[in-house]
Amino acid sequence: MSSRSSVVSTGCLGDFMKLVKAIVRPERVDDVVDALQNAGYPSFTKIDVVGRGKQGGLRVGDVIYDELPKTLLLIAVNDDEVGKVVETIKSSAYTGNFGDGKIFIQQIEEAYTIRTGESGI
Amino acid sequence: MKEIIAIIRPNAVSRTAKALEAVGFAAMTVMKCYGRGKQKGYLEANLSDVADIEKILEEGEKEGLFMKYIPKRLISIVVEDEDVPLVVGIIMKMNRTGKIGDGKIFVLPVEDAVRIRTGETGIEAIGN
Repeated sequence: MSSRSSVVSTGCLGDFMKLVKAIVRPERVDDVVDALQNAGYPSFTKIDVVGRGKQGGLRVGDVIYDELPKTLLLIAVNDDEVGKVVETIKSSAYTGNFGDGKIFIQQIEEAYTIRTGESGI
Repeated sequence: MKEIIAIIRPNAVSRTAKALEAVGFAAMTVMKCYGRGKQKGYLEANLSDVADIEKILEEGEKEGLFMKYIPKRLISIVVEDEDVPLVVGIIMKMNRTGKIGDGKIFVLPVEDAVRIRTGETGIEAIGN
């Protein structure tokens, strides 16, 4: 395992990696996953979540649904591939209605494969 | 501060938690999740040798040999910068079987943390 300082100082991972967090409709997940695989990104993690956006949930008559089921996809990619992954998610998760979701991008400073101990994605 | 996100096998959570607790990292968040890696969800039971992965993937998708969503657990731990190598090392040691599906570890920067009970911020909020 590399020490943290050597990872940072030598920049041995090249550029930093990014974690793309996409909150999408559960019924679109299969389409998103297939589109990502076709684009060359087979790896992902998915978590079932609930949430709401700036519309404050969904109003049906007198009832407000403010815990709408969504799926959170986590995809770790190299810096230069963020644009392609985001475009793939945007086009495959799109319906044009409220609730299509959000995409957030966070920096990953280190990444390891547990089986081999290798660093990097 | 750094957030360490590890995606590991469901049956490895308790031994990982015990090992981390033994060295003073009792706090963690565990989530049920699903996913797959670069093997596209091929099950290890169907792979005679890890070295054959590339060959099998080249042969194309075989019916019944892979799972789209493999059940996993995501653990999230926020630690001080200097503790990152220790925690990453423990997670790797407790989870390495050498077979595909052992998981991934990501280290992300955290800007700030707040302990809601007391209002403490920063490193004080994640300390014991």
